[in-house]
Amino acid sequence: MQKIMIIEDDEIITQELKDLLQNNGYLAITLTNFNNALEEILKEKPDLILLDINIPYMSGELLLQNLRKKSNVPVIMVTSNNQETVEALSISYGADDYITKPYNPNILLLRIMAVLKRSNMNSNKLIYHDLEINLGKGIIKKDDKEIILTKNEMIIFSYLLNHQNRIVTRDELMTDLWNNEEFINDNALTVNISRLRSKLKEIGYDNIIETRKKVGYILS
Amino acid sequence: MKLSLYLKDKRYIVILSLINFITITLILLAFKLSKDAIIVIDVILVFNFILILGIDYFRKKFFYNDLFNKIEQLDKSYLVLEMINKPDFYEGNILYQALYDINKSMIENIKIHEEQMKDFKEYIEMWIHEVKVPLSSLILTFNNHKNIFNNKTKRQLKRLENYVEQVLYYVRAENANKDYFIKEIDLSKVVKNVGLKNMDDILDNKVSFKVENINYNVLTDSKWLEFILDQIINNSIKYKRNIRNSYIKVYALESEDKISLNILDNGIGIPQSDINQVFDKTFTGTNGRNNNASTGMGLYIAKNLCKKLGHKIDIESKENEYTQVTITFAKNKYFNVLK
Repeated sequence: MQKIMIIEDDEIITQELKDLLQNNGYLAITLTNFNNALEEILKEKPDLILLDINIPYMSGELLLQNLRKKSNVPVIMVTSNNQETVEALSISYGADDYITKPYNPNILLLRIMAVLKRSNMNSNKLIYHDLEINLGKGIIKKDDKEIILTKNEMIIFSYLLNHQNRIVTRDELMTDLWNNEEFINDNALTVNISRLRSKLKEIGYDNIIETRKKVGYILS
Repeated sequence: MKLSLYLKDKRYIVILSLINFITITLILLAFKLSKDAIIVIDVILVFNFILILGIDYFRKKFFYNDLFNKIEQLDKSYLVLEMINKPDFYEGNILYQALYDINKSMIENIKIHEEQMKDFKEYIEMWIHEVKVPLSSLILTFNNHKNIFNNKTKRQLKRLENYVEQVLYYVRAENANKDYFIKEIDLSKVVKNVGLKNMDDILDNKVSFKVENINYNVLTDSKWLEFILDQIINNSIKYKRNIRNSYIKVYALESEDKISLNILDNGIGIPQSDINQVFDKTFTGTNGRNNNASTGMGLYIAKNLCKKLGHKIDIESKENEYTQVTITFAKNKYFNVLK
């Protein structure tokens, strides 16, 4: 399980963020002592840090600068200041991404996923049972058989695969699709999922995507 | 400075000098001086009189003409004192000193207001950043407890968020400071962000969101442009028609010297009587009166931001057919050369 450290001074946000991350299969820890934040980060060795700019004792930017002297852990800066200059500055201090409050939780999760994916490139190769998945070409191979997925179908399938054995809501799938500039509507999503199902059936994987009524889908 | 008006102003001196001239001539005649001597004295008197007035006239004319020319030339005429030489005659000095004092007090006054504006703006910006903290926690709480809250809550949260953003950008647009940061940005990224932000509203309202031919780079501040687009798309959703194939189409067009970003919807449109006023502050018009969520601020702020960024924003519409907003970005060859 990947460990995400939340550095944020608002208690309610910290708690809700923790719940959100844990519900999505991450191990979320919080920074308790802002006084020696740096030591605690280095001790906990998180896989990713969500760092708020307005934290006690020292600013998030300063903490990031000090952290970068010692570690390359991915950092996503979180702030309520949406000025272009602040963003550019954070990136120059070594942040991997930058998100402004108030953020859409689904988008935050997508950003986390993207940053984590970038930081460990070897997990780029997706495998499901005996299926070999080529994301770039949109091809799924089983032995000598192969199916070709459209861009939308591939986005849906890889999202389900990244959240295997957990219910994925339509909202999450929709956010990922729109995030990839596929601005489809509800009906189109339903159509895409049923096409994906029938394509998977062709290579012998029938009913692996189950519908959970009024909640979403689950890839078993 | 006109000679006739100057002489009119000096009429008492002219009249007194004339009386003086006649009196002296009469006295000289009474003393039975030779006619030639009287003529010589009279000529000297007249010559001296003209000389005295003439010198006075030209000294003043030089100063006042200089003053008025420079006031006309300057676009900030209150700076004129920096541009002229101090006059070398007494009345001019009085005027100069008075102007100097008035100017100084005015500048001090403006300074006080500027400080107040600055403080106020800083406070508003700080307040907005603070209010975003509870707003964020509300959104997160909503997301984690969807079983307790319904979509109405979500919509209210979105409204709250939009109003907060409007205040922030209103302050930024009205203020003389440069808060923006222009660089080359990809239009598709901005459109994507705005689309994501409005995804729930677009889907709930069964509007289809079409994006075509959008891969252009333009020079702008991406955050500001996102806000502008957000206002336009919000309007498109708010004023959609109750038909089955409602859509919002976002597309870009390129010509030799500019790139335009168009947002077209097939909503209720804007009546001809209102179209010229939609960018006016607090104008809500016929459509707004039928929709109590209208504040008349969105497009006004959008227009102001465009003005500051140097983009053109236009709107055209036909009632019950369509509305199209166009933002035009100039291509900057100089920037390309620098790259």
